[in-house]
Amino acid sequence: MRRSLILGGVTVLVFPTAALAADGASGGWIGPFAVIAAGIGMAIAAGLCGLGQGRAVASAVDAMARQPGAAARIQTAMIIGLALIESLAIYTLVIALILLFVKGIQFS
Amino acid sequence: MEAIDHPPIFRLPGIPDHVTYTWLVMIILAALTFAASRNLQLVPRGIQNFLEVVLEQFIQMIDDVMGHEGRRYLPLLATLGLFILTGNLMSLVPGLAGPTGNLNTTAACAIVVFVAYHGIGARKQGVVAYLKHFAGPVPLPLKPLMFVIELISHLARPLSLTLRLFGNMVGGHILLAVIFLLMGLDGLIGWALSGSVVGAVVGGIGGVVTIVFTVGFLYPLKILVAFLQAFIFVMLTMLYISGAIEETDHHSEHH
Repeated sequence: MRRSLILGGVTVLVFPTAALAADGASGGWIGPFAVIAAGIGMAIAAGLCGLGQGRAVASAVDAMARQPGAAARIQTAMIIGLALIESLAIYTLVIALILLFVKGIQFS
Repeated sequence: MEAIDHPPIFRLPGIPDHVTYTWLVMIILAALTFAASRNLQLVPRGIQNFLEVVLEQFIQMIDDVMGHEGRRYLPLLATLGLFILTGNLMSLVPGLAGPTGNLNTTAACAIVVFVAYHGIGARKQGVVAYLKHFAGPVPLPLKPLMFVIELISHLARPLSLTLRLFGNMVGGHILLAVIFLLMGLDGLIGWALSGSVVGAVVGGIGGVVTIVFTVGFLYPLKILVAFLQAFIFVMLTMLYISGAIEETDHHSEHH
């Protein structure tokens, strides 16, 4: 188990280096790690953003069920709050896009 | 990016796409308003009726959020909202590019908002009072700290406005492009145009199924996002402006 983990780690660490050494074009050895980082970062951001938005929507729907008269105002506040929460995930998306698509950043 | 990059059909050489399509949005909006206001009638019909409904929605929203005095800022808010909404919807039309899918356009809108709400606040309250309200309702030793924190949070506002609109739009575009790529739309269309009968039948049917599937599921979502982001932008602008013009007397509130 542990040996396969170590082997996997070594494979992940070594293979992109070797693959890119042949390629040689885009930004040195950091490129493949940028792809991995973009994927993992986006996954974490999406998951936690979903948790946060779920809490917000749950409270808002609860409040709307208790006070149907105030539903419009609650909905407006909820949408603003959702946008503010979502923007945190959007920051990560922008970072991921930068990591994936922006050429010519010298990371080293 | 090259694999999923589909440039728009109409391009002016030497001019970036988003500038071209920003001008297209401006021309569309100007033509609409000109056509609506050329022959004003007391009982509106047609396009005048439509634009009056749109503007009444804006006025309703302003009244709800900012109160009656917020109507002074209707031109700024409605222009921003209509421009962003038209740009968002335009980026959904195949063959056109969306001006809001570029960081420069959204940053321009956000900087306009930033300058506008600080200008409005400073003119309404006076520069010194406006700067004082940055420091907040805290005891004197804490005021420099609060001032710096408020300053940073105000500087983060245009950044977050910019990135929110840009990220939502570009994220949607990349989602659509990746799904078309994964379903092999280019290959299917190429097969349909290759000339052989089997290719035309299979590729044509496959292409139509792909497009209908994607458009039927993802386009409603993207249209919702287009409206929602324009709404959010205008709503946050309203909140910023009403935060800047409110007569702050924090001490009386807190004691």
